Amino acid sequence: MTRRIASAALLALALAFPLTALAQEGSVTISAPADGAKLQAAADNRVTYEIMPGPKGDHSHLYIDGKEIAVLRELKGSAPLKALAAGPHEVCVKVVNKNHTPIGVEKCVKVTVE
Amino acid sequence: MDPQNLAYALIQLVHNFGAVAIVGGAAAARWLVRDAPATQRRLAWLVLAGWLAQSASGAGFGAVSYLFYGQFPDIHAIARVALMVKLACAAGGILLAAAYLRLAADWLPERRGTVWNTLLLLGVTALASAAFLRWFA
Repeated sequence: MTRRIASAALLALALAFPLTALAQEGSVTISAPADGAKLQAAADNRVTYEIMPGPKGDHSHLYIDGKEIAVLRELKGSAPLKALAAGPHEVCVKVVNKNHTPIGVEKCVKVTVE
Repeated sequence: MDPQNLAYALIQLVHNFGAVAIVGGAAAARWLVRDAPATQRRLAWLVLAGWLAQSASGAGFGAVSYLFYGQFPDIHAIARVALMVKLACAAGGILLAAAYLRLAADWLPERRGTVWNTLLLLGVTALASAAFLRWFA
């Protein structure tokens, strides 16, 4: 009985602890393109970013419209936004842990390609 | 101690020893004890245990991510292919090692050798895929 209670307490702790506090640390800044920016399809479009991964972060992933297109291992820099079709897009940088799981530290901007 | 890192580390520990078992066991059976069927049978148990440990710990990585962040690891392209290759190798390794334990007593040495070669190839392929999964995700 004591063993069951201890197991339940451990499980509850494991479930409650990480989802609340851990994901809030660290930050991502996207300095370009600006949110709402209009981009030219033929231009050399890049995302310029600065990342503070926080204690749980390891590296970052770059996404366009929810699809991962690159791994970002530098904390500050830029990366190409490859072959953007005309229309609205969402560009996101998400910090992930060593197991490549997004930890909740992210920044997204919406752009429109003309 | 951070519970998340502890969980990942313990799973990694199982995963690493599983890798040693699947490759080391098959290599030893293939080259070191090729004329000792009884020892090969014990190694088949080791290899089967290794593949099961690899499978369980691989799932464990995803489970820990889901437990802590509510989602699975985010992998794409090359890494996703590498994961599929690993899963296929694990399925093949488990089936082949189990078949060996059940049927190898009736097999000729050549057939046992072929199976050990295949198990070794599966292990090496899985380990090679793991490198791509780690760095291209």
